[in-house]
Amino acid sequence: MKASQKTRKNGREKAILSHAGASPRNYGLPLPGVHDEEYGGSLIVIEGMDGSGRSTQISLLTEWLESEGFAVETMGLRRSGLVAKDIDALLAENTITRMTLTLMYATDFYDQLEHRIIPALRSDFVVLADRYFYTLVARAAARGIERDYLLGLYEMALRPDLTFWLNVRPEAAFEREFRKSHTISYWESGRDLCLSDDLFQSFIMYQAKIKKEFESLSELHGFLAMDGEASVATVNTELRKRIAAHLGIQRTHYRPSAALASLWR
Amino acid sequence: MASGIESAAEPASIESANAPHPASKLLEPARGYPGALIVVEGIDGSGKSTQLYLLKRWLEIGGYRLHFTEWNSSPLVKSATRRGKQRRLLTPTTFSLLHAADFADRCERQIMPLLHSGYLVLADRYVYTAFARDVARNCSPRWLRNLYRFAPVPDITFYFRAPLDVAVNRIMSGRPKLKYYEAGMDLNLSLDRSESFRIFQGRILAQYNEMIESDKFVVMDGTLPVNKLQKEMRQFVKSRIDLSRFAPKKASRSARSPQ
Repeated sequence: MKASQKTRKNGREKAILSHAGASPRNYGLPLPGVHDEEYGGSLIVIEGMDGSGRSTQISLLTEWLESEGFAVETMGLRRSGLVAKDIDALLAENTITRMTLTLMYATDFYDQLEHRIIPALRSDFVVLADRYFYTLVARAAARGIERDYLLGLYEMALRPDLTFWLNVRPEAAFEREFRKSHTISYWESGRDLCLSDDLFQSFIMYQAKIKKEFESLSELHGFLAMDGEASVATVNTELRKRIAAHLGIQRTHYRPSAALASLWR
Repeated sequence: MASGIESAAEPASIESANAPHPASKLLEPARGYPGALIVVEGIDGSGKSTQLYLLKRWLEIGGYRLHFTEWNSSPLVKSATRRGKQRRLLTPTTFSLLHAADFADRCERQIMPLLHSGYLVLADRYVYTAFARDVARNCSPRWLRNLYRFAPVPDITFYFRAPLDVAVNRIMSGRPKLKYYEAGMDLNLSLDRSESFRIFQGRILAQYNEMIESDKFVVMDGTLPVNKLQKEMRQFVKSRIDLSRFAPKKASRSARSPQ
């Protein structure tokens, strides 16, 4: 594992993030009506494309953290009470335009931030985020929306304590996804961008674009990039080592319970 | 210039001087389209919708190519907005974002294509409604200006200014039951709904007044008689926009400016 924390000198994005008023916990602006920077807890983000093993790792980490006595809350994209269903409906049609979709996802994100993450952090939970706004920035940027617009949009987002990026080759992700569900989603293969008529080609080209966006986000935000193609156990061990250090857990030995044993390949 | 019109400056960027943002320059009106956009703004009860309706009738009767659009009219996010309001799930941020998503849908699917195809677009409320109302809800002006950066800058923004009491009384007499968010009840300004509405509208009014110069509003006196105000509005439109561009193509030789 290697942390990519190179600083960027010319980044326009950087300017946005260094506003006066930026706190260690947000990207420049506090949320209106949210008055405290005093909440505890930890926000841990796992990023990576479909097929990178995110959800497997989150299931395992949840069990491990609970066995260590930490209360865990999770979040993910399109899981808000406010607009998740509406986004599902919009994605099912193909009349949605990129800016509208970007803003619906932003609504979904902030609804979860305000109604789920912040209350959990106030109660000293560990929040495991199955993707964060970085994916939303990468997807929208891949569709031609300016990056500084997007970073401005998420200026009130909380800064995670740790962000892991499970890096896999698109080809490997395609294989894993296909094995799992025997198909590849229209959106995950970026079909709306008309990159190729061939589903596989389209997926590879689209994920390569996303990966490029992630590389610059990684520099900007100091992601901990990990080899997502390593075995589940190897990735999990690395994740636990990092998280244990952050949470002050001494012993990181863990064996999944019978319920999760099938994930431990 | 007629007495109802107090300011008449060139249309400029939606960026206001007091909201500097490194990314705020994109909205410079390098208008790459043949259409034109006329916007009315003002608090509830300021008379703006009546005036825009009359302007629309005048242009329709003259046979001009136009499209009328309203704030909050896209069916796309209507169900989400309704659910959020009914269950009172909306925070200042999600309230603002949902309305921005709604506007984006209208902008991308109606306003921009029509401007590109040479239409005169009339908008009853525009992004300034969001700037005034969401800042009154304590959203950051900088964040809001960035959020709406994709919106085209209007050719004319008429701002209907009416004293708070006049506007509030007009609303209260015609619509006794104020809705929760409409009255700004989410801000805990007052337990009394009409009192909360009055305070909230006062805050919005203050925000509108802040934007008069920075956003080049054409200020209209909302207390003048309707027909007098409409006459001024029509004159101003004629003076600023070459309406022959929007006349029916075949009949363009015989089309005259409506009287």
